[in-house]
Amino acid sequence: MHEASIVFGLMRILESQAAAHGVARIRRVNLKVGKLRAVEPQALAACFEAFAEGTAAEGAELHVEHVPARGDCEDCGAGFEVRGFRLICPSCGGRRVTLTGGQELSIESFEADTGTEEEDDPPCA
Amino acid sequence: MCMTCGCGETGHDDRVTIAVRQNLLEENDRVAAHNRQHFDENRVLVLNLMSSPGSGKTSLLEATIRELTARGLAVAVIEGDLETENDAERIRRQGVPAVQITTGSACHLDARMVHHALDALALADLDVLFIENVGNLVCPAEFALGQHADVVLLSVTEGDDKPEKYPVMFRIADHVLLTKADLLPVLGDFDPDRARRAVADLSPGTPVSVLSAKTGEGMDAWLAWIDGRRAALPDAPPNAARHHHHHGQPHDHDHDHDHDHDHAHGHHHHR
Repeated sequence: MHEASIVFGLMRILESQAAAHGVARIRRVNLKVGKLRAVEPQALAACFEAFAEGTAAEGAELHVEHVPARGDCEDCGAGFEVRGFRLICPSCGGRRVTLTGGQELSIESFEADTGTEEEDDPPCA
Repeated sequence: MCMTCGCGETGHDDRVTIAVRQNLLEENDRVAAHNRQHFDENRVLVLNLMSSPGSGKTSLLEATIRELTARGLAVAVIEGDLETENDAERIRRQGVPAVQITTGSACHLDARMVHHALDALALADLDVLFIENVGNLVCPAEFALGQHADVVLLSVTEGDDKPEKYPVMFRIADHVLLTKADLLPVLGDFDPDRARRAVADLSPGTPVSVLSAKTGEGMDAWLAWIDGRRAALPDAPPNAARHHHHHGQPHDHDHDHDHDHDHAHGHHHHR
């Protein structure tokens, strides 16, 4: 469950960003997770729900964009989607491949309500 | 948005999107780069050993330490386990320092744990530092520690298709060791060539070596690879103030080495 460590890092970023932007309530968090990362989306969501409790991100939606793995063949120049982690060019069979996508593990943005809350939102039962 | 109780319906006018674009492992990567600087300043080769539990990491270390110390090299080990000091005690019996990190429930070592363990080691006096990560083929792959290379063990008692099942781990390996090779004749169903092909599909050019710590088969090639990695270490900058970690002297965690930590995106792995 290293997703807990990853979400811990996410919460630190959210807390500092929320403070810097004077954000009262975080509604949605947008992540990018590449297909080449060993990150389980359901574990990520479960950890986020637990860690966000009592913070400005409590109840926020965690949106994960899964980024396909892509590579460029250095032999024939073809760009292609890497399937099943096999770093082999489908056009020429070349094995000199430069990865161009699929290693992402980042927060891209978040959506939030600014200013002071007039009232505490009751938790959604 | 909740349609039942209407929560979240207030404040929509003030909804903003804030761009962040930050690596979620940035903090770990920053500490890992800091560890790496300690290693480089002291010209210590640091190898991160990863595998399933029971793949023979500690036995490999025992055999490797015997050979390296016989050649006059100073070796130390950082041991990661959920519980117990058993592995560290096995290493100490070889006459070298071993620092045990017990992670409790954490399934991997992270850069901060390793940095803390460095307090107990005199890096300036070392040539090779092994980090025996927690036995796990998934989680440790995601956390850079500052190591120079990742060594992944696959014992022949496991399947030769394990690289296909755990591609993230085997993809980042700088060297794959097929351990307990003395058991190959009795097992019969582990094909080293199949394991080689599986690794080559994930990571062309990564060496895959057959090794038995028990019989010594493959040890020479493994030791030669370590020698090669030592020779490839960057030269310590001239007049660099060596950054010591000493027993009993609290390490200043606030210091700033003022070098670039450009780890914003992408994988932590450096080749």
